[in-house]
Amino acid sequence: MNEYVVLLKRELLSLTREKTIILAIMVQLLIASLASVILQGIMAFYDPASIGWGTGVSLRAGFIGEAGSPLPAYLRSKGIIVKPFSELTSAEAAFRDHQIDTILFVPEGQSNVVNMKLILPRTEARRMVILVMLDEPLKEYEDYLRQANGIEVNYKDFGGQPYSGYEFLYSVLIPILMLFPALVAGSIVIDVISEEFENKTLDTLISAPVSGGQVLISKMSAAIIAAVIQLLISTGLLIWNGIVVERLILVLLLAVSFAVAISLGAAIIALWFKDRQRAQFVYSMTLITAGAAGYFLNPSPFELLAKLSSGALDFSVLAVAIYTMLPIAIGLAIFYRSKRLVLAGK
Amino acid sequence: MSNCILTMAKWEFYRLKLRFSGRSRFVVLAIVLLAIITSYLVYHQGMVVGKELYTVGVSPESPAITDPRFKVVRLDRDSSRTLLSQRVIDVYLDGKTIISRSDERSQYVSGTLRKHLARQELFSIARRYDLNRAFPLRVEVVTLETPESHLTAGTEPPPAPVAEPEGPSSTSEPAPSPGPPAAGSPTAEINDAEVRQQLDVFESGGLLKVKEALLSKPDVIVPSLTPMPLPLAQVTLVFSYVLPLLLAGVFFASSITEERVNRKLTVLLSAPVSKLQVILGKMFPYLVYSWLAVAVITLIMGGKVWLSLAIFTPVTLLILATYMMVALTYRTFKDLTFFTILVLTAIMAYLVVPALLTGVSDLSYISPLTLAVEMYRGEAVAAKEYFLATAPLYLIFCQALFVGTRLFNEEFLTGFKPMHVKMAEALNFAIDVNHLNLSAFLSSLFLLPLAFTIELLAIVFVHNLSLPLALWILIIISVTIEELAKSVIILVLLKNGAIRGKIETVKLSALSAVGFFSGEKLLLFLALAVLSPSAFTAAVFGAGLLIMPLVLHVVSTCVVGLLTTRLGAKYYPLAIIIGSVIHAAYNLYVIGTLGMP
Repeated sequence: MNEYVVLLKRELLSLTREKTIILAIMVQLLIASLASVILQGIMAFYDPASIGWGTGVSLRAGFIGEAGSPLPAYLRSKGIIVKPFSELTSAEAAFRDHQIDTILFVPEGQSNVVNMKLILPRTEARRMVILVMLDEPLKEYEDYLRQANGIEVNYKDFGGQPYSGYEFLYSVLIPILMLFPALVAGSIVIDVISEEFENKTLDTLISAPVSGGQVLISKMSAAIIAAVIQLLISTGLLIWNGIVVERLILVLLLAVSFAVAISLGAAIIALWFKDRQRAQFVYSMTLITAGAAGYFLNPSPFELLAKLSSGALDFSVLAVAIYTMLPIAIGLAIFYRSKRLVLAGK
Repeated sequence: MSNCILTMAKWEFYRLKLRFSGRSRFVVLAIVLLAIITSYLVYHQGMVVGKELYTVGVSPESPAITDPRFKVVRLDRDSSRTLLSQRVIDVYLDGKTIISRSDERSQYVSGTLRKHLARQELFSIARRYDLNRAFPLRVEVVTLETPESHLTAGTEPPPAPVAEPEGPSSTSEPAPSPGPPAAGSPTAEINDAEVRQQLDVFESGGLLKVKEALLSKPDVIVPSLTPMPLPLAQVTLVFSYVLPLLLAGVFFASSITEERVNRKLTVLLSAPVSKLQVILGKMFPYLVYSWLAVAVITLIMGGKVWLSLAIFTPVTLLILATYMMVALTYRTFKDLTFFTILVLTAIMAYLVVPALLTGVSDLSYISPLTLAVEMYRGEAVAAKEYFLATAPLYLIFCQALFVGTRLFNEEFLTGFKPMHVKMAEALNFAIDVNHLNLSAFLSSLFLLPLAFTIELLAIVFVHNLSLPLALWILIIISVTIEELAKSVIILVLLKNGAIRGKIETVKLSALSAVGFFSGEKLLLFLALAVLSPSAFTAAVFGAGLLIMPLVLHVVSTCVVGLLTTRLGAKYYPLAIIIGSVIHAAYNLYVIGTLGMP
């Protein structure tokens, strides 16, 4: 056990001396920061009001149509200021004078099908905001016309916008943030193992009173420790951004066990191929394969992470147990058979 | 010349083959095939994001829920209440009503379920009734010019047709006007086909197929069929194209580092080939591989191969250039791994983030991915859009080639010195001592992209902080970076004794500042030629704001240069601090005057 600690210290020292851990942390910080930037971008698409667009700034719409039309009421219920006009030219003049932002022109006397015109400015950003703000009132008007046509609509889409980034956050971003340190750990493992082969320092190492297994495990441990540090930083950043990650301990445990599993796989690949270039290539290919194959598992690791972090109570405890216990079990097995592995690697 | 390059290329390819010889070749091939097959399976099946993320209880008479995001549990009303409060289920669908809790998750699931059910309802309505009754509202979108937008007249396409008043629509008329005006009937027919197409797109839509997700026809809107812009399609594009390109870069970088570590480079340098030929020759096989990869992926996804190649070649060149610079600079494989990850994350951000705004803002044209999105939408790619997106990439590539060739010598490549010494050496090699003035001018120009990238990264980092603090940190970082970029050449020249006397220091500092400033303004000008201008840009190009920044840059750089000359190279950090303070003071003054928060 003592030798293991000594070896571990040596590995950690080498990682810090080459500033590798610092770089890993910077990369993680960058990805986590980018994640929150992308998240805000996505929220802006689905719900501009969520980032303050359109709130505090009322949309002014010009309306030309029948006096009894329900559309102005739908517009007003969304906080849109509606200015009625009697004909299009005066509305257009007001539009050019910047007194109104958009014009809704519903020609009178249409029965079944209503063809209306919507007049927008040229600027892309403004068009987007106006279209999103008009989305619900227009849908309500459409439903009104359907009812007039004798169609009963049971489920209506509108009424309260949910926080649209939710799904993206929990099923894409958080799994990526949790899995990324594991990928990096695997890469480190390949580097440190293959460098022993390439620098021919393996012989020196083996002549020391340590077992091959201890050497291996110390290398993997150092990589996993780096992964844990990255995970903690990511988590800290998420919490600071006000993002709630439920069942944090379980999620982190899962992430760490993925790091263990990937480090194990990386170690095996590095021992088999011995040179860095091929090992890294095979490692990337194996990751892609495992990732794609994992998608077909039920539940897949990403699903599990998404469910746990979003607070779903309904998840398979068995799956969690397997995903956490399995890598550790395999790791221990390898540890005991490792001397043979390392000697075979020579 | 090209013969040499081809020879180098062949040799590189041969080395690559050697690497994968013997027994391992089959293992590697098998793994690659496995990776391709599984990825294709996932693509074909369509990736569902968030499978069974939500648990929904349903009453017996509720409609079927087919969205894979929902896990459906049949329950009666009584048990539903308990399970709902225990948070085992997120919502309960009781026939036509959705019962939820007040917490965020339940509210969100409720909204998502409602959206899904409304969508199912829409399809059933479309099946049961004819199009006119099912989709009675057709909204034609017309663009109207306002006087302000005429400022863009030089670069915008001819204005869209102005809406014309159609027939009498005055509310004072009691008798209904003869239906929609003549233009209305043909419009109705067109719209039916339009609605049919939108319905088809809506039905097949979703995150699954990239092409459908990107289609949109903003001219006629049927409110209930409005597709939401799906930025995730852009992200899919990135992974499909850019990942294989990154693979080429990894191999390229490994190859360089490996030759460095094994001291084979000396041999290479003694061969009768120029360094440029060596670098280009080494790059060539990877470039060819990239072309093949892009062509194959485009064929699978149904795009135009020649256009894809035109779009993604500069991306490939950027990736190869980046990998080359990192490999030339860093000595160990561990460092190589991390710096490449760091730089690549930055590159991916550069490609993805502007592309998220495709169709929303012209800012999206910063990224060549936007061009790819347009291609898949079937929209034409304008020449100036191509230019804006790819010119920076081509420029960076040429720049990297230039610096790379100058660095490709034994002294730089085999030394084991700390990073800042190596950077100074790099600059040293890049400068031509016989043309000091030109070097001073060009060096800041060259460092400009690097400075800007670091500033962009800084913006991403400080994004997490609250506003006043974030702004301060941003100012400090960007100011310091700029001063460093402008004055580092002065430092290097001073250390080599190439500068004598204060007057020469001032002259070179001024030239460096002018170079930096010109580059900055040129970049801005090029970008704005394509982007939609706004009041902000009008302010920037106002006369007052051209002279002042130039004066500032010259002053701050001269201060730094003079201080360093006077006090010695050891005091360079101090000089930078003082120069930065001057610069920052100016920035704060400008911000205060413009009244920005």
